[in-house]
This record gives sequence, C-alpha cells and structure tokens, in this order.
Amino acid sequence: MRLRDFRLWGLAPAWAIMALTLILPIGIVLLVSLATRGAYGGFDWGLSFDSYAKILFEEDWDGNLAFTPQYLLIIGRTLWLATLTTLICAALALPAAYTIAQAPGRWKPVLIYLVTLPFWVSMIVRVYAWIIILGNDGVIEKTLRGLGLVTDIGSLLFTDGAMLVGLVYSYIPLMILPVFASIEKLDGSLIEASHDLYGSRWVTARRVILPLSLPGVMAGAVLVFVPCLGAVLEPILLGGGKTMLMGNLIQTQFGGGRNWPFGAAIAVTLMVLVMIFLMLNALRARKGAAHG
Amino acid sequence: MKRALLATTLCALPMAAAAEGELNLYVWSDSIDPALIAKFEAEAGVKVNVDGYNSNEDLLTKLQAGASGYDIVTPSQHFLKIMADQGLLEDIDAHALAAFQQVDPKWRGQWWDEANDYSIPLAYGTAGFTVNRNHYKGPVDSWKVLFEPEADLQGKIAMLSYPDEIIGAAQLYLGVPFCSEDPAEMKRVYDLLAAQKPFVAAYTSDNIENRIAGGEVAAHFWWDGNSMKIRFNDNAPIEYAMPKEGLVGWLDSMVVPKGAPNVENAKKFIDFMSRIENATAQYNFYGHSAPVAIDTATAKYTAENAPELFPTVKVEFSRSCSPAAQDLVTKVWTQLLQ
Repeated sequence: MRLRDFRLWGLAPAWAIMALTLILPIGIVLLVSLATRGAYGGFDWGLSFDSYAKILFEEDWDGNLAFTPQYLLIIGRTLWLATLTTLICAALALPAAYTIAQAPGRWKPVLIYLVTLPFWVSMIVRVYAWIIILGNDGVIEKTLRGLGLVTDIGSLLFTDGAMLVGLVYSYIPLMILPVFASIEKLDGSLIEASHDLYGSRWVTARRVILPLSLPGVMAGAVLVFVPCLGAVLEPILLGGGKTMLMGNLIQTQFGGGRNWPFGAAIAVTLMVLVMIFLMLNALRARKGAAHG
Repeated sequence: MKRALLATTLCALPMAAAAEGELNLYVWSDSIDPALIAKFEAEAGVKVNVDGYNSNEDLLTKLQAGASGYDIVTPSQHFLKIMADQGLLEDIDAHALAAFQQVDPKWRGQWWDEANDYSIPLAYGTAGFTVNRNHYKGPVDSWKVLFEPEADLQGKIAMLSYPDEIIGAAQLYLGVPFCSEDPAEMKRVYDLLAAQKPFVAAYTSDNIENRIAGGEVAAHFWWDGNSMKIRFNDNAPIEYAMPKEGLVGWLDSMVVPKGAPNVENAKKFIDFMSRIENATAQYNFYGHSAPVAIDTATAKYTAENAPELFPTVKVEFSRSCSPAAQDLVTKVWTQLLQ
C-alpha cells in the first residue's frame, strides 16, 4: 500500500514539470490561436476560428475573400525540406554509424565524442561557419580556384542548396547516434551467416544490416524531422530569407505582422502536423513489432 | 547580445558589493558605448545589465508579453507612440528631467510624445542604401537604382529581413503615403518589390558590415551611421546613397517600460547619458546623429567628414500605422516571401 502511494506521489514532481512546461504552454498557444487580435499586437481573449480560416482564405488586393494558397505553399515547402533533410541525414548516417560501430573498441568513444562535438558550440556560430565556407571568395570557392578547376562558380550562399546543407549539418548527429545504437547491438553472426549463404556485401547490407538498423533510423528521423519543421536560422542566414518556412512565418506574425492569434494558429497547425507524423511513426513501429 | 551581457556582468562583479541597485537596459545591439556604462556604474554605484535587440518588432513583442524586467528600452518613434498608447510605458515626467534641457528644441513635443512625458531621445538618423564602389560605379541618386536595378546590380542586392523600413522606402519611391490603407496603392508597392525580388541575393539583417564591405553584395539596404562608421573607421569603399525621393527617418528614445523595477536608476541613467560630455562620447561611439546637445569641439563626425549624417534630401519619419495599414504591410511582405 505504502509502495503504491509512493509510486503515485513519487512521480508528482515529474507530472508537475510536464504540466508546467509542456501542457500549460501548449494550452496557452491554443487559447491564443482562438483569441481575437489586439490592434497593435497582443490579443483579447475570445473564441473565434478566424485565424484558422485565414490560413486558407484571405482578402485579396481587391478586398474579396478568396482562397489563398500562400500559407499552404509555405507549409508544403517546410514539410518537403524537412523530409529531404531527414532522407539525406539517414543516407549519410548509415555508413557513418556502421563505420563507428565497426571501429576498434577504444576508438568508439572517441568517434562518438567527435560526432557530438558540434553541439558544444552555439548553433548560430555553426551556421555562420557555413557562411564563411560557402560565401563569395569562401573556402570552397578558393579551394576550387586554387586547384584550377573553376574560375567563377557564382554564389553558393543564399540558395536552397545552402539552406539544405545547413539543415543536414545541424541535425545529422541526432541521426547518427540512434542509428549507431541499433547497429552496435546488431548480432555479428547474422552478417557471417549472410556471407556463408553466399550473400554479397551489397545484399548483406540491404537485406541484413539495413532492416536491423531501421528502428534507429526511425528514431533518428523523428529527431531530425521535427526540429527541421521549426527551423528559423538556416533559411535566413544560408537561404537568404527569400522564401519563408513555417518558423519564419510564425515569427513574422508575432513580430511585424502584429497578429498573435494567427501566429499561434500556424504554430498549432505545425504542432498537429508533428503529432500526425509521430503517430504514423508509432503505428509503423507497432506494426513492425507485431510482424517481427 | 549574450556576450555583451557577460562582459558587463564580469566588469560589474568586483563592485557588486558596493552596488546600490541594478539597471537593466534593453537597447539596440551594440548601441551604447561600453565605456559610458562602466563610467555610470562607477559613478552611481549601480550594476548595469545590457541586453540587445535587432528590431522594433522584437522589442514591442517582448513588452507586450509583460514583466520584461527591463528599466530602459530605446524604441524608434513610431513604436514609441504605439507603446505609449497601449499603456506600456511609465510616465516619468521626462520634461522635468535635467536631460530634457539638453534636448534640441526641434525634437521636443513631437507627435510620438507630445507632452514629453515618456521619452528623452538618444539618437536619430535615416534608412537608405549603401553601395560598394569597387563593384558598382553607377549613380546613387534615386531609389530606382535599388528597386529597379540595371544589369550591373542584378543579383548583387541585399535587403533587410523585416518589412518596416523597406516598405517605407518603396512608398517614398512610388509616392505612396506611409501607412496607406488603400489596397490598390499597396498592390503597387508589392508589384515593385516582387519585380525586384529575382535580383535580390538575400533578405537579411545580420552581418551587414561584412556583406557590403567585403563585396558579397554590391548594394545593401542600410542605415546612415552604420554605413558611415565602416567607411570612416575601416576605409571601406562604400557610399551611402542620397535618393532624390527621400530617406526614411527614425529617432530612438530612452523610455521606461511600465512596472520597471528600477525607475529612479533609469532616470539617473537618462540624465547621465544626456550630459554634454557623455552625449558627445556616445555620439562618437555610435555614429548616429545626436538629438541632444554635444560638444562640437570634441565631436568626431562633422558635415565634412561624415556627410552620411547630414542628408541633402528630404527625410520622412516612419509613422505608427493603423491595424488596417499594418495588415497591408504584412500582406505585401508575406506574399513577397511566400
């Protein structure tokens, strides 16, 4: 009896932290998204779905309410970029994690440490480093010109490619670590068995190693995809701020746009998208477990 | 911003024991002379914390969110007006402060603080554009150069990452009044910016110095004093344009947010900053025009060596837009970057 009581109130601090730092803020964002906007920013409590309607319908230049694809376009672009980043991260993380897992025992901690090393430096500094690398007369351009390969490659900075490089670079450690964890647990005898059965290296990688490391890839995909949806720095600093992502759109609405409820409505939409993604992922994992 | 905070904190540590209180500043990044902060700390025995922001919108949002804990903030005129109207500012009877006697009469009783209750101005200047003379040799006498660029500037232009002053500049060029509530007029502003977009390398407000002085871009939307300082101090080959359609004006003032914890220290600091020798030091550090009396004998920048600060074209100050007008501004911006 006592033990059961302890189980209840022993968890109270955890519940309190969850309620205060997770549920309460989300609740506030939800309420703000249903409020009416204040004339100069801020908001008045209320119950209105105007902000959600605005995502789809807005007055055009002639003052007629019309379907506006612009916010859907921004949402779609964000999802596309996050997906692309996740795929590239997975493609790069698999061989990297495999190499680390195969490394001699005393090297492993060092290699893992190297993967986490960038996290010791502020995100802004790391993104700025890419400005120096990609910029006009930057490291890449200088190197290529030094080798006599090109004379003028034009600007690499302020392109969608630069933004993608920045996103992949920022989030790839979050993919490598879980993939490494699942590959390391992989039973070496399975690989041997595959070779014994005349499986080539490629077939072994595709039919044995890849499926067994999939749980790690899925965990990594969540860790990469979700923060990508809210990325603000890379689009501005590397992408040149020429096209908005959801993070920038939300920022604009709370800042210059002075429309907090609309900003909150987009934030809620983003949150719902993330939740759908996580739920699909969990569903897949459960199905996989059932089949396995 | 964090670095500034840390530096100030470290400087203040030895005398923290003697401090009679604190003063929390939230000002434009790198806008206040650190030597003056140290001097004030020594003189008043007050520990000063400095935090920085890069846009009026950031500041307004923070104050609206409530209980910021800041004692002095420095909004531009159009945001100051909104803050005062929204009851976000402390009435400090600014006209009764010693600092008020130092304010140039032309900046007293302005529309953003008619009764001089809330604010003492700190700096003023213009928003325009700067070109790198190594990469662009053409004329800079019109906004046309920036908004409808010829081949030599195409793809080599950078704008700021927020709409505030850019839309103002586009309005000056098109002859559309600031804060227009007419969608047809604002559609023209949108069309102009949308036609310019393919030639814009980036919309960004960070790291402008390196981008324009280093030649990453050849033209950059920028402010007078910042442009002047890197030409003056670092010999950057740049020129601040004087477009015949006019420049967008701004004036930043020191105000006290409602519920500030250290109002008396804030008033002390405002008086301190407005004393002639300190105002001169601040002018020499910040490089934007001083709206308070300064000692011309020790002022570093003059009409001869810093023409950027002495515009030869008309200057039109940004106004506080109505919600309807602001919605059109946001609409232009969102459609531009959709």
